[in-house]
Amino acid sequence: MNKKNAGPLTPLSPSLHANAEAIRNRFGGSCDIVVRFFRSDAAPDRELAIIYVSGIVDAETINESVMEPLMSLKLPQHAYVKGGKLLEALRNCVVSIGSIKDVSTLEEALQCLTDGLCVIMADGSPAALIAEVCGGEQRGVTIPQTQTVIRGPQHGFVENIRVNISLIRRIIRSSDLHIQMHKIGRQTHSNVAVLYLHGTADESIVKEVYRRLAAIDIDGVLETGYIEEFIQDETFTLFPTLLNSERPDTVAAALLEGRVAIMVDGTPLVLMAPTTFFTFFQSPEDYYQRFDIASFVRIIRYAAYVVAMLLPALYIAVTTYHQEMLPTTLLISLAAQREGIPFPGLIEALLMEMTFEVLREAGLRMPRAIGPAISIVGALVLGQSAVQAGIVSAGMVIIVSFTAISNFVMPEFNMAATSRIIRFVYMLMAGVFGFFGIFISVLFTLIHLTSLRSFGVPYMSPLAPGPTKQGIWRDVFIRLPWWAIVLRPLDLSLRNPKRRPNGRKPPAQRHSDKP
Amino acid sequence: MQQIGKNQLSILIIVFLIGSTPLFELGIKAKHDAWLAMILAAAAGLLLTVMYVHLQRRAPEAELAELYKMHFGRWIGGGIGLLYAVWFAYESMRNVRDVGELTMMALLTLTPKWIVMLLIISAAAYTVSKGLEVFVRVVQLLFPIVAASYFFIILLLFIARLPDPQHLLPILENGLAPVVKAAFPDLLSFPFGQMVIFLVFWKHVSEKKIIGRASYWSMIGVSAFLVFMNMLVMCVLGPELSAITALPLLEVVQLIRLANFLERLDVVVTLLLFIGLYVKMTALYMASVFTLNSVTGIAYRYCVMPIGAVIYASSFLEPNNTYHIWIGLDITLKIVPLFQVVLPFLMLVVGVRKRYKTN
Repeated sequence: MNKKNAGPLTPLSPSLHANAEAIRNRFGGSCDIVVRFFRSDAAPDRELAIIYVSGIVDAETINESVMEPLMSLKLPQHAYVKGGKLLEALRNCVVSIGSIKDVSTLEEALQCLTDGLCVIMADGSPAALIAEVCGGEQRGVTIPQTQTVIRGPQHGFVENIRVNISLIRRIIRSSDLHIQMHKIGRQTHSNVAVLYLHGTADESIVKEVYRRLAAIDIDGVLETGYIEEFIQDETFTLFPTLLNSERPDTVAAALLEGRVAIMVDGTPLVLMAPTTFFTFFQSPEDYYQRFDIASFVRIIRYAAYVVAMLLPALYIAVTTYHQEMLPTTLLISLAAQREGIPFPGLIEALLMEMTFEVLREAGLRMPRAIGPAISIVGALVLGQSAVQAGIVSAGMVIIVSFTAISNFVMPEFNMAATSRIIRFVYMLMAGVFGFFGIFISVLFTLIHLTSLRSFGVPYMSPLAPGPTKQGIWRDVFIRLPWWAIVLRPLDLSLRNPKRRPNGRKPPAQRHSDKP
Repeated sequence: MQQIGKNQLSILIIVFLIGSTPLFELGIKAKHDAWLAMILAAAAGLLLTVMYVHLQRRAPEAELAELYKMHFGRWIGGGIGLLYAVWFAYESMRNVRDVGELTMMALLTLTPKWIVMLLIISAAAYTVSKGLEVFVRVVQLLFPIVAASYFFIILLLFIARLPDPQHLLPILENGLAPVVKAAFPDLLSFPFGQMVIFLVFWKHVSEKKIIGRASYWSMIGVSAFLVFMNMLVMCVLGPELSAITALPLLEVVQLIRLANFLERLDVVVTLLLFIGLYVKMTALYMASVFTLNSVTGIAYRYCVMPIGAVIYASSFLEPNNTYHIWIGLDITLKIVPLFQVVLPFLMLVVGVRKRYKTN
């Protein structure tokens, strides 16, 4: 897919030393390029060379499967060698590596080198043999750091795209799982894989993903975030229209629902599209826990999201404009707290919210060892002392803390982040116009939300527009038992909308108490 | 082209007709028989809707202005279309002004009206610029809130034992004449006759066959609800009090006092009224844009801002609320039957003799 970037291709020359020199020159004499000349008994009259980039190849594989067979084997009388087809002989009879291919241009050879393959060349042949010997140091598969569950699989994606693909393959053992690899990035040549379940995912969505990926032209792709900003439907929105996860089970579930997954080499986070608003409230654990508990937790999550967005704004509006709404005793108590506070409610709330945001960012970026210091400063100095010093009221501290905790309930970090920003807008509007301001800003948010789409799927479906099929509701605000969830989520899979046949669960055998 | 579904149409009709209607105790001229006047007007409104649906069936792909052009020729029809565009914009302006007045009265007594109205008209303009699909989806999102809030209020009213059915008696004390007088033309024109706006939107419904059924049933449902609300307010306040209060429903809800906790719920009502007004305002605004677009051929997106600006500017023309209500409930209601009854009826009559091509 990067063909448009490629310049004119240089064919390999028949001279081995010329080729080796060309490769070295292209790399500017970089120290990690290893060029090893040798002679083999297979063809004693011709010099051979193996070239690779040290560190990203597995040295042991090279020694065992390439060097050793080459140097120890004797087949001078072989038909291939007599016909002068030394490389073919090596490929077919000597090098014991599964993935192997021929290239004939310098550029292809260079690309293979940076991908962690080794290049084998022979004097007199204007071609090279490429053997896959990827390896080198990588982080092992560990517990996901950002999305933890109590019940459910405990492994997460790593930085190596091949490992990540294998993790999905191990979950969905079907030939319908199609994986297409692309290269994106003029300099990084990052591997970008598109995964989907053939026959389940909507073809038009898959095509659209390919089309948008093909249009990306950038020097480097370091994380799925780069891809996300290129392929999302709407740039100027606070709401994420692509889901990301570092959990293989989440990605596998998304694939089964008919979504398309996009992986990028070098990051453990995988994108999934299309994604609707309500997807962000579903944790993988919802599907592993009992359905009633999962439903309860999910409702809590929706409520927490609303709280995280609106609570400070409501507090400001009520204390500033609509005091009559509060029960009298509460009103008196609040008024007593605010008696010595020099600031209006809005300033007080903004002060505390900004403090919290700073604390939170500091906690995220600072070295682990200083972590406890932040909690002490945050909890004691800013919480208690600020109240005692009469800068903020105790009620405000409660509001801000509860808002902050509510924000952490969201299973998806990027959706939680939107509420952090929108909250400030709501607070400002509440400070200026009270409830009317909140009403207007929520209205604007709703209009904006309904106008969003993710790969053609309306963002607020299945609420607005309503579900096209009955039974979609069973996994939106609550989750019914697995046997009741017959349909895949809305419109993601037009060809194959059902995930199981209709009907109840197989009846359990009844045991009678009678002897 | 933008398409809306069957359920979306029903919800739009319901929320549109509710609009700001519960804000006023309509038909109060008939005193405690106001609800009878409502029923009468609703029945007549249903008849009007039957007529509109019939007109729409003649050319399912035509909008209001296109229908007029088909029946009366390009110039006369186009002229009538323009009149409609102006009327829609005017009605939309009334809702903008309603929001301004309501906010002044119920929420923010000191905030200047111009900024309140600017905010609500910009929300409407934002919706209109996004198009019909987005608007209908917003209505779909708002509908559960509206339904739940009304249910909640009604429930609380009954728990607090506020309604007294005695207020409705005796039925037809002064005979049928005051009831009919209250119903026609005032109650027919507002809210039921406003169904004429759907001649603009029906074109965009994906299944043309269900238009009639969906419209009739949602209209019957919403009429029943409005009559019920009317009776409820009357039962709580009685005919004298509901005749003199500016916002009867607000008054009713302020009476709710339960368990030292649930009191001063008028904010909920205000919110409900805001939602209703927003939906009505946006629908009328959008209808105006659609009509202007099909009469003049100016692209939809170029119509949005000018019409919004006109609506906003004209909302300042009335000097105060009394004047605003007087124009709305006395003058306007005498003129609008032209748009709701006379012109569509003329079209019906003219059309009987014409032959229609299905395209």
